[in-house]
Amino acid sequence: MTIELKKLTKRFGSLTAVEAIDLDVGDGEVLCLLGPSGCGKTTTLRMVAGLEYASEGDVFLQGKRVNDLAPRDRNVAMSFQFYALYPSLSVAENLAFPLHGEGLSKSEINARVQRISDTLQLGGILNRTPGQLAEGEKQRVAVGRSIIRDPNCFLFDEPLSRLDVQLREEMRGEIKEVLQDLSKPTVIVTHDQLEALTMADRIAVMRDGRIEQVDTPHNVFQRPSNLFVAGFIGTPQMNLIPATFTALHGDDTAEFAVEGGQTLTVVVDPAIKTLAPGAKVTLGIRPRNLEISTEPVADGLSTRIDIVEPMGAETLAHMNDGHHDLRLVTDWRVPLTEGEQAHTRFPPGTTHIFTEDEQVLRTP
Amino acid sequence: MAEASSTQGGFGAWLLDPKRRGALLVAPALTILFVMNIFPLLWSFGLSFFNYKASSQRTPKFKGLDNYADVLTDEKVWERFQTTAVIVASSVLLQLIVGFLLALLFAKAFPLRRIVLMLVLTPMMLSFVSVGVFFKLFYEPTFGIVSYVLNFFTTEKFVMLATPAGAIAGIVIADAWMWSPFVMLLVLAGLVSVPKYLYEAAEIDRASKWRTFWTITFPYIKSLLLLAVLFRTIETFKLFDIVYIITEGGPGSSTETIAVYLYRTGFQFFKTSQSSALAYIVLFIVIVLTNLYLYAVNRREAEVS
Amino acid sequence: MARKYREIGKAGWGYTAITTVVGLIYFFPVLWIILTAFKTRTDALAVPPKLFFTPTFDNFVSVFYRSSITTGTSQATDMALYFFNSIFIAGVSVTAALIVGTLAAYAFSRYPLRGNDTYLFIILTTRMLPPIVVIIPIFLMFRLSGLAGSYWGIILLYTAFNIPFSVWLVKSFFDELNPEIEDAARMDGASERRVFFRFCIPQILAGLSATFVFGLILTWNEFLFALLLTGVETRTVPVAMARTMGGEVGVDYGLLAAIVTLFLIPIFFVTFLLQNQLLRGVTFGTVKK
Repeated sequence: MTIELKKLTKRFGSLTAVEAIDLDVGDGEVLCLLGPSGCGKTTTLRMVAGLEYASEGDVFLQGKRVNDLAPRDRNVAMSFQFYALYPSLSVAENLAFPLHGEGLSKSEINARVQRISDTLQLGGILNRTPGQLAEGEKQRVAVGRSIIRDPNCFLFDEPLSRLDVQLREEMRGEIKEVLQDLSKPTVIVTHDQLEALTMADRIAVMRDGRIEQVDTPHNVFQRPSNLFVAGFIGTPQMNLIPATFTALHGDDTAEFAVEGGQTLTVVVDPAIKTLAPGAKVTLGIRPRNLEISTEPVADGLSTRIDIVEPMGAETLAHMNDGHHDLRLVTDWRVPLTEGEQAHTRFPPGTTHIFTEDEQVLRTP
Repeated sequence: MAEASSTQGGFGAWLLDPKRRGALLVAPALTILFVMNIFPLLWSFGLSFFNYKASSQRTPKFKGLDNYADVLTDEKVWERFQTTAVIVASSVLLQLIVGFLLALLFAKAFPLRRIVLMLVLTPMMLSFVSVGVFFKLFYEPTFGIVSYVLNFFTTEKFVMLATPAGAIAGIVIADAWMWSPFVMLLVLAGLVSVPKYLYEAAEIDRASKWRTFWTITFPYIKSLLLLAVLFRTIETFKLFDIVYIITEGGPGSSTETIAVYLYRTGFQFFKTSQSSALAYIVLFIVIVLTNLYLYAVNRREAEVS
Repeated sequence: MARKYREIGKAGWGYTAITTVVGLIYFFPVLWIILTAFKTRTDALAVPPKLFFTPTFDNFVSVFYRSSITTGTSQATDMALYFFNSIFIAGVSVTAALIVGTLAAYAFSRYPLRGNDTYLFIILTTRMLPPIVVIIPIFLMFRLSGLAGSYWGIILLYTAFNIPFSVWLVKSFFDELNPEIEDAARMDGASERRVFFRFCIPQILAGLSATFVFGLILTWNEFLFALLLTGVETRTVPVAMARTMGGEVGVDYGLLAAIVTLFLIPIFFVTFLLQNQLLRGVTFGTVKK
């Protein structure tokens, strides 16, 4: 393990920004800290860098405890949300800046700047100052400056948040490519799930200073471990329907009652066995898993089509049964008319069950 | 407004027309300024071409540009300008150094900062007269504290204000003490405008303190340093009260600044016309300096936004 | 756990101690004035200077009252009159300048005239001018009009003296307001007068009070105009202080120190409460932050 956080905690006065976080990032691994603003992800990153003290717990870099080391002694590279390019220096000087402390010769510095500028295609702008750069160029320079040294790890704070959509897509790929070559542990802080899903090897979803789930992008999406992750990851948001577990048929076919009197019989994870009938649960199903049916079905709810929002290749429909708003995404060719009755179907194995303590019910 | 008023309120309506709102609002301020500043200046501009003496009843004679010629060729005037320049240059330099160091000291956040800062900011709020009176006491050869302290190092009785150099130093120290906090405030404004993340980046990039200062901090304060120099130059250029009280221009005329000299010619020798001419030369210098200052202000505003 | 390094830009109590020592050294002259205010005449001029002494309040009393040797009754001193003059003259002229200046500042900020910047430049220049340049003709003017030595003369002059400062400072506060709020109010049918009094003024009240206080201090401290244009009845404190310097009986430093110390009290309040506006105040609103 090259970055290891043990029970890491940060308090600002009476406010606990980060609470007892355990996390490790291996060599060459890209870990994304993902969460809504104010969840403590940036504070965590800054504690790794040393820009913030840990109130409790430890930070290990390359196996060495670094809690009491100043940022400069931790040998980390970091790119800041606002890029933190030195406004009075040219791009080339910005890139060379971290090398001055390394005791390198002038020619060696120039060679490295050249190499980075080749990798990130900065050749044309080396003599400009940050004020003259476009956002995307600033971003590139910031990345360049952070990878020019040979640090213990790389830290990125919201690297793409200031770019427009198109540029963001472009840079995502570019950064991913650069990071793959570096084979260093990397932590990226982001509030954008798409960024996390595309760039990370693993994602740590945070809420209110705690880590809710650490897993691969695929698992975070497909196998959310609790209600928060289920609701936070994925757009449109997962449908979450409060229900009462009423009966079990066979191994994994369960019957639920929802508000408004309708019942629903769906094939779910066998772990449902552990629940006693009458238990309150929350059913979760992704809008893209919901199916539409013209006939009423046992494994679905009867609804009315409230609003239809065409999204290009797909259509998002808001279905309402009088008590719940269900989001459903379907192929654009499926005809949907606002105000008409329609029936939604919960296909087998697509419904997640969350118990009253908001944890998922799933066989490991 | 009612229709009936269109005849009798014609002027009022004309005046209240929205087109004239700006002009109407600035009118009182400009009127007072005109009466109390511009008009007197025009008057003295006129006087500067005569040989008027406020103390005499004779009808003044037109002298054309003679007064200006006299003033500009008067060696005494050039001496006073030199004295003023020496005092301005040394005082502003001292203010820059002290103010800058104080700003560096107070740039950090520390407990009770607001209260400790008051200790440093107070001198700026005192009146010139009180500063003058008490620095004169400090410089007093018999019971002044400066002489007392210096007596530890030298057995000779130290009379600060007896020599021209000592008198100038005395004035410069009093003025610089009073106004270094001003420079500190400006530099502090620059220091706090540096985004914190730049310092963090420099820390991560393992830059030395020296390099951090010159590449990050200095670019943010240099425009404010220029503002400080210009503003303090303009202000120190006016220096009158402190000199008037501490040295009265002495010994001899070695600390007679241009402001004190103007006061003397105008109000002790009543050479009203000559002093008006000299006043106009000073006015010209101040206009140039104010222009430079506003140029610097605008440049800094463009930088900040 | 021992901290081996500090977070950037922060410091602890140790740093407070260092800055306090530096601050006190810088503050020493003021401290000495305060100490002198509590000294007897002998202590004030003791050789060597006394740091420790038995404090007395006599100086403060004698600022306002002097006991007559012959009758034993105390009577108000002239200094009490000069204090009144300083406060009255500064109060009236700063208020007038603030009202007139606020109107002008609003116009300069919201209804720019043709040549707006030129007007502002001229206004600032009149403030930057050495008072001695303007005072020669003003002196003549006052002599001719009989305004010399009267309250009205000096009040009018100080009003003019404060207008440039008020205009620039108040304009800097108006400039910072979001004009969208005013536009929204106009869309909702508010008259221009209502926009000004209900929306703009309340938002800059803090700035207006800062301007008022700075104006008071500047005017209170002014010396040259007061020296030349006030008479016996209208003399202000700085002039009275300066006049005691030339006396033959020797300067009563205790009394002077008491006067300065009295004025330090409001100054402390101002520097503490208006610390964030101080920079703007001393640069006449040209530098905001």
